Amino acid sequence: MKKAIGRIYILIIMLFLYLPILTLIVLSFNDAKSMSVWTGFSLHWYEELFQSRLMMGAIVNTFSIAILAALIATIVGTMAVLGMPALRSRTENVLMGINNIPMLNADIVTGIALMLFFLMIGAPRGYTTILFSHTVFCVPYVVLSVRPRVNKNTNKLYEAALDLGASESYAFRKIVLPELWPGITSGFLLSFTMSVDDFIITYFTRGAGINTISTLIYSEVKIGIRPSLFALSTIIFVVALLVLLIVNIRQDRAERNALADIY
Amino acid sequence: MGELIRLEGIVKSFDDNVVLNGIDLSVDENEFVTLLGPSGCGKTTTLRIIAGFEKPDEGRVYFDGKDITDMPANQRPVNTVFQNYALFPHMSVGENIAFSLRVKNKSEKEIRDRVKKALKLVNLKGFENRRIDQLSGGQQQRIAMARAIVNEPRVLLLDEPLGALDLKLRQEMEYELVRLKNELGITFIYITHDQEEALTMSDKVVVMNEGYIQQEGSPQEIYDEPVNAFVADFIGDSNILSGQMVDERVVRIDGVDYPCIDGTEEGFPPRRRVDVVIRPEDIDIVPYGKGLWNGTITSKLFIGVHYEMLVQSEDGKIEWLLQNYDQHDVGEKIGMYVDPENIQIMHKPKSEAESAIEIDL
Repeated sequence: MKKAIGRIYILIIMLFLYLPILTLIVLSFNDAKSMSVWTGFSLHWYEELFQSRLMMGAIVNTFSIAILAALIATIVGTMAVLGMPALRSRTENVLMGINNIPMLNADIVTGIALMLFFLMIGAPRGYTTILFSHTVFCVPYVVLSVRPRVNKNTNKLYEAALDLGASESYAFRKIVLPELWPGITSGFLLSFTMSVDDFIITYFTRGAGINTISTLIYSEVKIGIRPSLFALSTIIFVVALLVLLIVNIRQDRAERNALADIY
Repeated sequence: MGELIRLEGIVKSFDDNVVLNGIDLSVDENEFVTLLGPSGCGKTTTLRIIAGFEKPDEGRVYFDGKDITDMPANQRPVNTVFQNYALFPHMSVGENIAFSLRVKNKSEKEIRDRVKKALKLVNLKGFENRRIDQLSGGQQQRIAMARAIVNEPRVLLLDEPLGALDLKLRQEMEYELVRLKNELGITFIYITHDQEEALTMSDKVVVMNEGYIQQEGSPQEIYDEPVNAFVADFIGDSNILSGQMVDERVVRIDGVDYPCIDGTEEGFPPRRRVDVVIRPEDIDIVPYGKGLWNGTITSKLFIGVHYEMLVQSEDGKIEWLLQNYDQHDVGEKIGMYVDPENIQIMHKPKSEAESAIEIDL
């Protein structure tokens, strides 16, 4: 009895979470443009999606900006973390406080501030300004995920490598980087998702004529949303699901191997 | 056996905090030298300067007659066993040991042979493919040794390598280290705050405090003839007392005259105020009234080999620490005697270097 209630409970939660997405997926295959009536299976919204230069452009923009911003933020953030131990601890604390502000700050404030900044320096708003803004709000996340990997021991390991005759760059590549790697990858992935997800900051820092997926959907909503956007959302959802599955399976396998090593 | 390493007038400070106050040190080839001192005495900084991780503010470092003060760490012919081993966690045991050979682009075959040989030397044959986190503390310690010696350095620097091990393992490793040193025939510079380790293993002990070298000498010299109260207190148990020379080779402590073997010739003329060290095991218990002075036993502890007793001197001013194989009861009145040669007379601190020790006592 208790078990049954538990199951129903979980089922309800799952329904609330995934029914909307399921609706979206089903409607993306609907023949008609209707958002409520099922008129038969069709792929033509997918066709429309891939033929629409507007949408394809938005997709390319979204992902190229996400990858570039995550890459730049990861490099900048990691370098900042590596430099921090050289500071006095008070300076370091102040710096970490400053680092946290953009994350706590409301996106709308960050977005308007960036927009004003670009207007002030007279930068033409477009792809570059979006990329710059995304990099700016991603750096703190990279700093936060890499910093826990850097401690006294990292420096000791680096010194040990030098002691054993390694050049500075060899010691960094072979010893320090592998130590930081988990933090660097999670910082990169976090930045990537934050960037793909972002609407508000992009909205304020983009110029006319450039769209990412989120700003495109926003402008479409005003003129009446087309089911090709459902198709796009479905693709994004499926890709995310696949990535998650692969990551989990690989992690599972790695853990099992580690256990097998011990026993 | 010539001189291999020489430090000349090394001064080092970190943010106005002077850590080394002019260190002069000479290490011979094939010598086991221990830098001994409490934490913050500058011993680790001295080691880091030899390894090349720190640059001295003043002074020079010589290796085999060559000035290596400005040589970067990765070019120095020394290797270090770090305090917490600093093994590379993402590499196997074999790869850890092979690291310095890979840096030098040795052939796979040579790397395999030398890693094998190094593992054999530290008694961990066949451990090549283990992961670091699968090793016990003692095993990690041995791997750190193997990694440091595989490249056949002329000097091995050891930064409190036994600090993280339990007592039994530590004593075992002390023998291992001495065996390794003899087998390799290289120079060891060893850092510890454990006086027992220092006395057991070293050819030469260098006692440091507050950035100064207090005394250097063989373990026997350091133990039997400490030059000042700090050394006496740091090495072993001791009774450290204030006294005054009252006659040629007679020192008066708390109203009692003790014959000793130091006089004007040794730099202790009559009327000079001095510090006196008497080791607790050097005080003999004799029947009441038959010794040089009398006292009452106030406490007694059995600590394995012998009894340790606190004895209040008759006028009540001095509490003596005694170690004796015979059992005496608390409350018993005893006489005490000490051989003149077991009374170590020392100068009172004069210079800044020596007065530093007063704070610690």
